[in-house]
Amino acid sequence: TTRNIVRLHSWSGIPREVRPITWRLLSGYLPANKERRELVLKRKREEYFRFIEQYYHSRTDEHYKDTYRQIHIDIPRTNPLIPLFQQPAVQEIFERILFIWAIRHPASGYVQGINDLVTPFFVVFLSEFVTEDMENFDVAALPLETQRNIEADSFWCMSKLLDGIQDNYTFAQPGIQNKVKALEELVSRIDEDIHNHFKRYEVEYLQFAFRWMNNLLMRELPLRCTIRLWDTYQAEAEGFSRFHLYVCAAFLIKWRKEILSMVDFQGLLMLLQNLPTIHWGNEEVGLLLAEAYRLKYMFADAPSHYKR
Amino acid sequence: CSMGSDDSYNFVFKVVLIGESGVGKSNLLSRFTKNEFAHDSRTTIGVEFSTRTVQIDNLTIKAQIWDTAGLERYRAITSAYYRGAVGALLVYDISKHLTYESAERWLKELYDHADPHIVVMLVGNKSDLDTLRTVPTDEARDFAEKKGLMFMETSALGSTNVEAAFSEVLTAIHKKVASREVTRGSISAVTLSSPLGPSSEAQEERKGCCRS
Repeated sequence: TTRNIVRLHSWSGIPREVRPITWRLLSGYLPANKERRELVLKRKREEYFRFIEQYYHSRTDEHYKDTYRQIHIDIPRTNPLIPLFQQPAVQEIFERILFIWAIRHPASGYVQGINDLVTPFFVVFLSEFVTEDMENFDVAALPLETQRNIEADSFWCMSKLLDGIQDNYTFAQPGIQNKVKALEELVSRIDEDIHNHFKRYEVEYLQFAFRWMNNLLMRELPLRCTIRLWDTYQAEAEGFSRFHLYVCAAFLIKWRKEILSMVDFQGLLMLLQNLPTIHWGNEEVGLLLAEAYRLKYMFADAPSHYKR
Repeated sequence: CSMGSDDSYNFVFKVVLIGESGVGKSNLLSRFTKNEFAHDSRTTIGVEFSTRTVQIDNLTIKAQIWDTAGLERYRAITSAYYRGAVGALLVYDISKHLTYESAERWLKELYDHADPHIVVMLVGNKSDLDTLRTVPTDEARDFAEKKGLMFMETSALGSTNVEAAFSEVLTAIHKKVASREVTRGSISAVTLSSPLGPSSEAQEERKGCCRS
């Protein structure tokens, strides 16, 4: 099928110019059938703005005001170092997207971390209209309809992503608990040294990997790397829900030398919560993904062969 | 010297920061451990951690400060967060009354999970926002007294009382440990043995850089 072909070509990274359309396809937001696309886009965008008309005013209702308050205090703290995200027009877009998503998903509601997940979609869909210096681009200067289309598309693609990982954000966050346990189990099989080192210094995986799962490594990597990573996550079946685990394991092993040379609890935790990825780009992400793929091949597809 | 070298210390005290989202917990942590304040800090996800070594009564104390997300949903992971804690700063924002109203709920959660002898200070942060104050100092002090908590107003932004708040808590912890007011198996065991890792065992025998 068309979608499978797109998947195959996207796994190793999508060229910038075709990334917006490709992401809309891979997320399942746009149909593969070319004739239907325009109509679907139009319908979905209208649907989103009908939600806004119907529900956005309820943010001041007793029932929803806590949700709105939390979103409202988190938005300025989302990507605080990038001027683009300090613009009122952009913050309002994020608030609407997150509020509507939260009230439509009462089982989880708004959970901190979900705010980060809007960013890659917003940036990619905005990139269709910005050629340079996106970080300082004035979004309010775009035609209103363009702004609205970016907003609606970001909402729907983020919703598709979250559909696959909802149990990360439901009460007590069982999806995250399970994935952190799975990471621990996987690391104990692929790198006993690291695993024993953590045990010896009483480092618990939850202490650092909770954030890796909750924010899909977005707090550990520069935004450009997250976008590249999501090319693959969307190309891979169950990318966000399963493949991410192998990426986390590969990411941990990547710092093997630094981890093993740190011989106290304090030093280990400080290292693990501030891993030096600031200069990372496509090359590092590519290597990380290749290693993750190898781990997945060895341990997910034929786990019994490698069990200790 | 007032700061001990990083690997010599007599005690490790684990202190947790709790309170509602947005009251400034992360900035109290960074002000105390790095003397930094970030206007642009991101929301805390899960737990974050930092340390600072201080001198109290000629002893070198390593303060291990744990910061956590203030949002309800995360509390499921926080029993590990409280484990081994001997001190807590329960933080609210003096300009947001709602964050003060929830103090009682946080206190209950703390006592549900932590050592009963834990030293607790109620901290009214953002004292630089005095013109926007909605929580009177006296009201908070009375509440703290009633609950048997220490109390202080701080400003992580203005660097007011942050040092004082942490060192009063650390001193109180040290007094509890030193006076043997608490029995073995309680707070002393928590401070002196394994929750903080093998390197912190038998710390009383270790030599600090500043000991005479």
